[in-house]
Amino acid sequence: MSIIEIRDLTFTYPGASEPTLKNASVVIEKGDFLAIVGNNGCGKSTLCKTLNGLIPHFIVGDMDGDVFIDGMNTKEQEIGTLACRAGYVYQDFENQIVCPTVLEDASYACLNYAMPDYEEKGKKALNVCGLSSKIDDYVWQLSGGQKHLLALAGTAALSPDILILDEPIAQLDPAHADGIYEVLKELNEKYGKTVIVIEHHTDYIVKYCKNVMLLKDGTVQWILPAKEAMRRTEELQGCNIFPPQVAIAAERMLDGGLLPREPFEKKEEILPVDVNEGTRVFAPYLKNKGPAYKQAARQDRPRDPIVDFKNVTVKYRAVKGEPPKVFDDFSLQIGKGEKIALIGSNGAGKSTMMKLMMGLIRPESGQVLLNGRPTAELPKEELGRTISMVYQNPEEMFIKDSIRKDIEYAMKVRRVEDYEKHTDELLEMFRLTDLQDRDGRLLSGGQMRRASLAIGIALQPEILLLDEPTANLDIATRREIMKTLQMLKGVTDTVVIATHDMQLVCDWAERLIVLSSGYVIADGTKEEIFADMYVRQQVGIRPPQIYDMGRALGIENPCFTIDEFMGYFRGEKYA
Amino acid sequence: MRKLSENILDKISIDFLRNQVLKNAYGNDDTVIAKLDPRILLVWYLFFGLVPWFLNDVVLLLGIFIFVALTTRAARIAPLVLFLFCIGVFSQTGYLFIVALFFGGNTETIVPLLIMTLKVAVVSLASITVFSGLDPDRLANGMLWFGCPGQLSFSISFAYRILPVLMEEFQNILLSYRLRGNPPSKNGLAGKIRYLAYQIRMIIQAFYPLMLNTAKRSRTTVEALELRGYRHSIQNPEVKKMKLAMLKVTRADLIFVCISIVWVCASFGASAAL
Repeated sequence: MSIIEIRDLTFTYPGASEPTLKNASVVIEKGDFLAIVGNNGCGKSTLCKTLNGLIPHFIVGDMDGDVFIDGMNTKEQEIGTLACRAGYVYQDFENQIVCPTVLEDASYACLNYAMPDYEEKGKKALNVCGLSSKIDDYVWQLSGGQKHLLALAGTAALSPDILILDEPIAQLDPAHADGIYEVLKELNEKYGKTVIVIEHHTDYIVKYCKNVMLLKDGTVQWILPAKEAMRRTEELQGCNIFPPQVAIAAERMLDGGLLPREPFEKKEEILPVDVNEGTRVFAPYLKNKGPAYKQAARQDRPRDPIVDFKNVTVKYRAVKGEPPKVFDDFSLQIGKGEKIALIGSNGAGKSTMMKLMMGLIRPESGQVLLNGRPTAELPKEELGRTISMVYQNPEEMFIKDSIRKDIEYAMKVRRVEDYEKHTDELLEMFRLTDLQDRDGRLLSGGQMRRASLAIGIALQPEILLLDEPTANLDIATRREIMKTLQMLKGVTDTVVIATHDMQLVCDWAERLIVLSSGYVIADGTKEEIFADMYVRQQVGIRPPQIYDMGRALGIENPCFTIDEFMGYFRGEKYA
Repeated sequence: MRKLSENILDKISIDFLRNQVLKNAYGNDDTVIAKLDPRILLVWYLFFGLVPWFLNDVVLLLGIFIFVALTTRAARIAPLVLFLFCIGVFSQTGYLFIVALFFGGNTETIVPLLIMTLKVAVVSLASITVFSGLDPDRLANGMLWFGCPGQLSFSISFAYRILPVLMEEFQNILLSYRLRGNPPSKNGLAGKIRYLAYQIRMIIQAFYPLMLNTAKRSRTTVEALELRGYRHSIQNPEVKKMKLAMLKVTRADLIFVCISIVWVCASFGASAAL
């Protein structure tokens, strides 16, 4: 039975010259777990907003065609009725939480729609979302992942038949991301909800979703079962979506003759999408399991420390009760020229560590040395020349009304010679020349990131700190950020990135530091860290799929890239 | 001396202010005052906020002053607010009182000033107790009961939710300014003044990006409010009734009212006797 039917839907935002949705038609079955994929700006969010009546009732624009929810035309229904049928969790979910405490927010919508058992409903939703222990907490006490669950609970409390989530796990570490998807799975299977997610993490799509819908330029291309959809690697990559790594590997091996063409007549049917399928496909053709490449020699040559944490203890000011300790007797050295990835679950102390380096937080005891001088003695403005930080939220870096002014600001006030020329170069380097007069806030996600990076390196600092530089980005933009990081060579040698993005870690980092509740629980190369199952479980690190694939096949050396993986299928079979 | 001034400057950071505001708004929700029924407290405030203006007896005012000082203490008000209160009272009348003392003012000049100071102090402390000690959400519900429009009570409650977010964002923007800016040197008196002026200018400028960012995030909030039935709730009287159903007068409220009455009567008695 279909729960959603969209017929020939065309929608144009007021003032836009092109329609965002063009003749979109689709039928979604009741009880489906559907992923909507497509590149940035292809109309995914717009499509979802037609389902809960925001379009056309709240956002006015040009709408042709019809949307039926459970047989009712959305044009003829009140927005309130529709909102009770289709719940929506925004990508910037924090802004949809409007009440100060957890229980109030969860039951807010039920109260507004005058349901007498509103508190019960809120409690029940919190229970399903695993927040029952937080019922009396204030919203600001929750972590990012918990806030997301609260936003979900607030929506689920109305018990809508359809739940729509816009990029639910973009900002979460793998453990919290699993948490969200497990809740969604339960809602889907146990409570029979139809779940729709806008998602570009294909490993989650394979694991949890039933069907996938590809949206391209405002038109629905197809709806296919999840695994089948993931095999359409070319189409996916054409829309800036990373297909599962094993699928790409298999495809490239087919093209390169490493897998025989014979049994794989129909590529679409045979490409593996997860490790299990991969084992079946790859195992017969594995040539060797031994070290195909020489083990990457570990640099043991001690580097000159550029940042030195000496027995640092940090406490936060508590609103109530004892001040919580973030770091207790924390010691760590960061060498000149190191490329460090800082890993750890949300709230493990990554941001605190960065803020300590910037001298933004003063340690309770101990000190942080920057080039041998304690940061506490250096004036902030001088620190800014040595070390620079790009926030997770680029909006907070835009303090002027155009990105050109933002980039040149630091140089201008320091009277750097030729600052205009240097600004031009930076704009050129980050491909922002055409956008230079726009306000940073109005740019797209990827452009905003590029601009914030340009601002961050304008003073050519020795150390650059990046907080989650690839969160919320599609693959094209992520590749761009990676390229930018490569470009930094020569200008800024020491880079520290706090991230959950293991792809980025594998491609870029030389040293991994794993933080867990204020302690360094592991510090080493990616080979060492990923092999350490204890650490992996403790922090919920999830290496890229290709690494697990290699392990499953029994390859001795870890594979971090598809090329490395393919190396084991080359040459003579020796065993 | 340098250490001391640094120490003080360190205390008056935005982070400190943020912490104090949060402490005041969220840190005292388990006090006796916070648990009282907001309607009772509003009526209580009506008395202690108005009546002292019409009283002119030092003993009586002093009695009432001690009482509101005690309630303020019971509400565990953040030190910053109390500090601001002291500054406020002092700048209103307190300084005159001290000046009068020093320049040979006799009881005739001092008593009226003392009365005035006490009046201001009582009213201020009563306001602090009610508006700072009560959690804003309950306050909003109390006002809703007295017929304030739903929009107002929602605004209070929403401000309560959004405050920490705004504070943090403001702090980050200010940091962007500090890290990228280049302030004048602090040497000499002129330098210090220039430095201070620079800091103030920075704080003012930081509001501009803050407002733009807030405008950006409010797009989602507005849509979400619509979806979550905010407009619906304003129009439906049933919702108001449900919201107010949780306001209950308990024994603690009655005890509080009794103590207030007894104390005020005792103060009247004392002033009459003396």
